[in-house]
Amino acid sequence: MANVLADYLIALADDELILGHRVSEWCGHAPILEEDIAFANIALDEIGHARLWLELAAKELGEDPSTFPDKQAFFRSPADYRNLPLAELPNGDWAFSMLRQYLFDSFELARLEALNQSTHTGLSELAAKIRTEELYHLRHTQAWVLRLAQGTEESQQRSQKALNALWPHAQQFSSPLPAEEELNNEKKVPSSSELFSPWVSHQSDFFDEIGLALPPQTNSIDADRFTHTEHLTELLSDMQEVARLVPEGRW
Amino acid sequence: MPDTQWPRYMVFVQEQEKDPWRHYGTVHAPDADMALLNARDVFARRPQALGMQVVPAKLIFGKTLEELENPNWANEEIIGKSENYLIFAKPFEQSPCEQLGQVKANSSQDALKKALQNFPDQKALWWWVIPGSELSASDDADADSMFAPAFEKTYKNQAEYHTVTLMRELHDTGKLES
Repeated sequence: MANVLADYLIALADDELILGHRVSEWCGHAPILEEDIAFANIALDEIGHARLWLELAAKELGEDPSTFPDKQAFFRSPADYRNLPLAELPNGDWAFSMLRQYLFDSFELARLEALNQSTHTGLSELAAKIRTEELYHLRHTQAWVLRLAQGTEESQQRSQKALNALWPHAQQFSSPLPAEEELNNEKKVPSSSELFSPWVSHQSDFFDEIGLALPPQTNSIDADRFTHTEHLTELLSDMQEVARLVPEGRW
Repeated sequence: MPDTQWPRYMVFVQEQEKDPWRHYGTVHAPDADMALLNARDVFARRPQALGMQVVPAKLIFGKTLEELENPNWANEEIIGKSENYLIFAKPFEQSPCEQLGQVKANSSQDALKKALQNFPDQKALWWWVIPGSELSASDDADADSMFAPAFEKTYKNQAEYHTVTLMRELHDTGKLES
């Protein structure tokens, strides 16, 4: 059964799930023990958010919310995923991973604040719940981005390099999610492009303040929510391997 | 060999309104702000917390029961200035080091002397005196985003997962190698 809100929610969930999986790859490899725990916590939170969005999508579709999230996560092929390519890129170095998380969290927070005003009660309540946690993520990642940008010459250079690589991908925050226009007309969800301009001007002030330069020219990116990079295929084959070996397994 | 680690911060948590501040452990961090963030992730995920404080470990003036037996302890080089000092004690091996109160004093030594007078019957394996001005506390306004979400998370409990059993079955049946 087709359902436009479910299409939208699945895309939100895919961002969280794929990014959460990437962040989880740092588990055991982060620069210090305390940060290893903190970043793994963020990964768990993001994967938890994916589950929440998928449970809501299941209700919209009349599916079982207790099995639908796993089915979506483990038994879809890369072409059926709707996440932003930003989320699936390999982790790179610490500056790259932390900056990606910061960019993602800060835009997500803007979207959650708007979703909190949704005329759809379930959506509005869930947005409020997830927002509480994202506030903390943003505080954590912003603290790191700031310190890396102003730390040593090397950490500054790595931060700038990460920003140059990520900024073109971040432009896709402005692209509509599946079914966004229709849902926006019903005041259920915000318009991504309307959230984007104030976000960019805020980020441009922030990066200016911490001494990083936004890349002047935005290169176009081939991939989008519907056309993925080869990195997603690799990520999913790792993430889905065991679940596909034992579909009946209880986790 | 030089110490390349970040400085150590002692972490204190207040679980509920009626509870004293308790020592939870230590974290490494480049500064107090990051120490609070790290402390939240390391210590406040599962248990309930109202607030959290950190202080650089090297600024804590501590004396064990044994050290206090030597009456010369009070004549060591004076540490600290005139201000409020928080008094902590660890009563028994199995109990946490927790706050008893605070005293206004001219130095850390002076604060401990006053604490020993103010709490004459206090059992303590060791005492800690912490200069109030050096503590950094979480903001009450942040309590919701820092501590509240952790509370209802069942997926933090190992018992929620059947992964270990399932992986063992997979290995035993030869579905997964190594």
